[in-house]
Amino acid sequence: MGSESNRGPAMNRFCWWLLDILSRALEPDEREAVRGDFAESGETAGEALRDLLGLVVRRQAALWQDWRPWLTLVGLIVPLGMLLSIVSRVTADQNATYMWLYANNWDWALVKDAGFWHEFAASITFVLLSCLTLVCSSWTAGFVIGSISRRIIPAYGVLFCLMLVLGALFGAPRYLAYLVQFVHRPSSPDQEDPIFALAFYRAMFPLMVQAVLVAVPSLWGMRQGAGVGRFPALLRMVLWSVAISTLTGLAIREAGFLFFLKAYWLQPIWQGWLVRVLRIVVYWPVGYVVANAIWRRWHGNKPAYI
Amino acid sequence: MLGEFEYLMLTAAARLGEEAYGAAIRQEIEGATRRRCSIGALYTTLDRLEAKGLVKTWMGEPTPERGGRPKRRVRVTAKGVQAAKTFYNAVTRVSRGVGWEASRIAVRP
Repeated sequence: MGSESNRGPAMNRFCWWLLDILSRALEPDEREAVRGDFAESGETAGEALRDLLGLVVRRQAALWQDWRPWLTLVGLIVPLGMLLSIVSRVTADQNATYMWLYANNWDWALVKDAGFWHEFAASITFVLLSCLTLVCSSWTAGFVIGSISRRIIPAYGVLFCLMLVLGALFGAPRYLAYLVQFVHRPSSPDQEDPIFALAFYRAMFPLMVQAVLVAVPSLWGMRQGAGVGRFPALLRMVLWSVAISTLTGLAIREAGFLFFLKAYWLQPIWQGWLVRVLRIVVYWPVGYVVANAIWRRWHGNKPAYI
Repeated sequence: MLGEFEYLMLTAAARLGEEAYGAAIRQEIEGATRRRCSIGALYTTLDRLEAKGLVKTWMGEPTPERGGRPKRRVRVTAKGVQAAKTFYNAVTRVSRGVGWEASRIAVRP
């Protein structure tokens, strides 16, 4: 444990670090003026942090006097938060089966079996791809929300995370339970009962998946989306088209909406070339992040929003 | 009609003249009211006053005592002076003859 004398400066440094992060929510000119005021008045880190938080909250609240943030909330944040909660829960439950299979039922005798390795490689590939799909979809959702308005991103981030929490705790479990009832009523005991009888796989694991594979990439995507305004109009249109296609594909394919729409006749189309293309397009954030990193290394400039 | 805090800000900025900027106005208000003035209230009110055309603000030069960061300088416009006068006259008129106004005169050194 750290001594009292060490705890003070450490706490101070932490507060100044937080202040630095929080001040990025302000416009560049205002950020400079406010930080200069703090330096001049000699405020403690705690006081400065409280003051800055007050200013950021006031600034963010003022932006909600316009109708556009409300439209973004209703039209994007709520549905995307719910959609990603559902997809995250589905991904977590699928991966829980593999985790339970290998982590809870491990047998060293299996490593000598060639068939085990074949099956293991297939499982790992499936798990990694499903995780990557979820990360890319979440990043895309964040990107779309972030590209709407750069100034209001902190409020959007908080609301989106709140929506994810509500989706994880209430929305997704209820929706999936209803979907199971709607699609079929299992007459025999569920094969996955032993897995979800464990509290870790039933309660903890879905929340961990949601936090790591949805919340973090979404916030990262929002930050990246905030810089889209500096791109030419044509490139912006292309990026938005790709992002919207990805999210539409995700909603139709992953969330079970086809069952509710009773659009079984669409099944051949969804198994055709269009979906194969969409399955590749979903990974577009990887290309975007790599291209952005290369651009910044060559041109040595930081995006305007940092 | 101005709000109370808007009037305080205009008065502080007018008193400071060329030296009016965020931190100095804040110090002036805290000295006069003996209450803490938050940065949030200060800068949002400043924006409101600027939107009403009562003050003009611009970014000054960076200074070493501020860690190389610039000041947000403030100047009260003619419209701002008029609004402050109107507010002051209204407060003076409405206060005439009330108990605390009489006691303020009585305790004046």
